[in-house]
Amino acid sequence: MAELKRIDAYRLLVPRDYKEGMRTDGIIFVDEHLQKDLEKGAIDQVANVATLPGIVGRSMAMPDIHTGYGFPIGGVAAFDMKDGVLSPGGVGYDINCGVRLIRSNLIKAEVMPKMSELVDALYKAIPSGVGSKGRIRLNERDRERILLKGARWAVEQAYGSQTDLENAESGGCMTGADPSSISAKAYERGLAQQGTLGSGNHFLEVQYVDEIYDEAAAGVMGIFQHQITVMIHTGSRGFGHQVCTDYLEVMGRAAEKYNIQLLDRELACAPFSSPEAQDYFGAMNASANYAWANRQCLTHWTREAFYAFFRVSPREAGMSLIYDVAHNIAKIEEHLIGGVRQKLVVHRKGCTRAFPPDHPDLPDRYRAIGQPVLIPGDMGRASYILLGTQKAMDETFGSTCHGAGRLLSRHQAVRQAKGRAIRREMEDRGVVVRAAGRETLAEEMPEAYKNISNVVDVVHDAGISKKVARLRPLGVIKG
Amino acid sequence: MNKARFSILDISGDIGISTAGATLPDVFVNAGMALYSLSTDVDAVQEQFAREVHVEADTCDVLLIRFLNELIFLLESEWFVGHRIEIGAMQCDLQGGKPAVLSARIQGEEFSPDRHERRLLLKAATYHKLRLEQQKDGWYAEVIFDI
Repeated sequence: MAELKRIDAYRLLVPRDYKEGMRTDGIIFVDEHLQKDLEKGAIDQVANVATLPGIVGRSMAMPDIHTGYGFPIGGVAAFDMKDGVLSPGGVGYDINCGVRLIRSNLIKAEVMPKMSELVDALYKAIPSGVGSKGRIRLNERDRERILLKGARWAVEQAYGSQTDLENAESGGCMTGADPSSISAKAYERGLAQQGTLGSGNHFLEVQYVDEIYDEAAAGVMGIFQHQITVMIHTGSRGFGHQVCTDYLEVMGRAAEKYNIQLLDRELACAPFSSPEAQDYFGAMNASANYAWANRQCLTHWTREAFYAFFRVSPREAGMSLIYDVAHNIAKIEEHLIGGVRQKLVVHRKGCTRAFPPDHPDLPDRYRAIGQPVLIPGDMGRASYILLGTQKAMDETFGSTCHGAGRLLSRHQAVRQAKGRAIRREMEDRGVVVRAAGRETLAEEMPEAYKNISNVVDVVHDAGISKKVARLRPLGVIKG
Repeated sequence: MNKARFSILDISGDIGISTAGATLPDVFVNAGMALYSLSTDVDAVQEQFAREVHVEADTCDVLLIRFLNELIFLLESEWFVGHRIEIGAMQCDLQGGKPAVLSARIQGEEFSPDRHERRLLLKAATYHKLRLEQQKDGWYAEVIFDI
C-alpha cells in the first residue's frame, strides 16, 4: 500500500497504488491542520470510488471529508456516460439534501432584542423532529406533480415567486424525474413529510452578515453588513431515504449482473445506460424535486412568520432568495476533458456545485460573478457565502465543500455535553436555539464539528471557491 | 415489552448499535428494540395495536437490514413505534443456499410528541460495517444507522 503524498499546502494525493484495483488517483483537499482529523476509513473510501468502472479524472474529496457509506462525505466523482456507472452511494440517503439562503431588509440591531420570540414563532411555523407532520396534504395528482416539477410545484401553489425559481440550482427542478420508478413505500413515506425540516443536522437559522470579503459580489447578491439572513438546510426527507434504500437493493443485484466488483456493498452501482441505473436516475431526480419543493414550502412559511412577527409587508421585508444549492446529487454535466467537451455523470455527496462566471447554467444576475455557494457551519460559529471559480471547473468538476464536517460522533458529543446546559451556553454566545429532540442540542453542539472557517479557508486558498461573506448565527431551530 | 439489550457504537456522523442474543431471533428482536430506543423512550410506548412485517433476502445479514428498514418504514409512514416484537416464522441458513425469510409481529402504538420523547429520526439501516455472526455462546450483530 502506497503512502499519501502532499502535493501542495491544500492537496493530498491518494496514489493509484494506494489500493489494488484503483483506476485513477485520488485527491483530498486538506491542509496539514485538517489532515490531523482525516479518518483512515474516509481515505479508503476515496480509493474505493477510484475502482469503479468508467471514472473520469480523479476521485476527489473536499476538506469537510468524513467516512460515509460507500462514497465518502465530501466526495465528488465523475463517470463516463457510456462506460461509467451511476451509484446511489455517490448521492447518499438524503437525496438533494441542500441549503438555501434568504436575504432581508432587516438589520441585526432591530431583530436581536426579539430573537427569543422570533425563534418561538419560527419553531411553530416549521414542523421538525420525530413525529412531526407536514402542513401539506398531497392528493393523488399533486403527489406526482411535485416529483415532476419540484420547487415549481410549490410556486404554483403560491408558496413563493418566479424569482425563487430563477435563483435555485437547476431552477429548483430536475428534468428526467420518473414517478413510475418510485416504490409504493417511498410514496407512502413521503406523503406526510412534505414541508418538514427533519432532524439530525438539518436546521433553520436566523443569521446576520458579520463580514464581507467581496463588496462587489455581495452587492450583486443584495448582501450588506449587519443584514439579517435566513438559512435553511434540509432535503427529501423520508421520501428520498426510502428511494435510496430501495435502489441499493436494485443496484446491488445489478452490479452482480453486470460483473462489477464491489469493495463495499454501499458502493452498489450499475452502468449508467442500464435499465436499473436509468430507473434509479428517474427516482433520484424525482426525489431531488421533492426536496426542492420542501425547501420552497419552508421558505414560504418562514417569510409568513417574519411578515406577521415584524408586521411588515413582503416588499418592506425584502426576503428574496439569494440561492439554493444541492449537496447530495448526481447530474449530467458538460466538462472539458483533455481539451474535449464531454458529458459526464457527476456524483456530489456532501459536496456543492461551484460553477464559474459565464457558465450557461447560471441565472443572468450571477453570470458575471459566478455561482453563489452556501456553506453552513455549526450552530455556534459561522456560515459562509462563496462563489464558484474557473479553477473549480478545471480541477474538481466545478465542485467545492458543503459544510464543517463532524469531529465527534453523536454519542461522544452527548457524553461530552453531560451536565452542561447547551441551550444556555448557546444563549451566552448570543444564539437562541430550539430543538425538538431531547439530545439534539448536545449532538449538534459546536465542538462536535470542525471549525467551518478552516474548511472554507482551504477551498478559498486552493482557488476552487472565493469568499464573499461570513454569516453568524442568532437563532436556530433544529429537529 | 422486550427489554432492549444493546450498546451504542461510536460512528463519526451517525449512530450504530451492537447486540448479542442466545438465538438468532433474539438478536433480531434486540436490534429492532434498539432501533425503537434510538427514536423514543420505549418504556412510554403502549401496546395498542399490532403491525406485521415479512421480509426475504438471500442471506441472514441482508435479512436483518431489510427487517430494520421495514421498522423504519412503519415508523416514518405511520409513526408506528413498537413496544414488543414477536418473531413468527424465521428461516435463516448461514451457509446460504436457501433464501432467508422472516415474519414478525410488533405490538405498539402511534408516536405522539405529547407523550413520547423525541429522539433521533433514522434515515436507514445501512450495510456499512454490518456484522451478524454466530459466536461460542450465541449470536452477535452490529448495525449502523444513517441519521
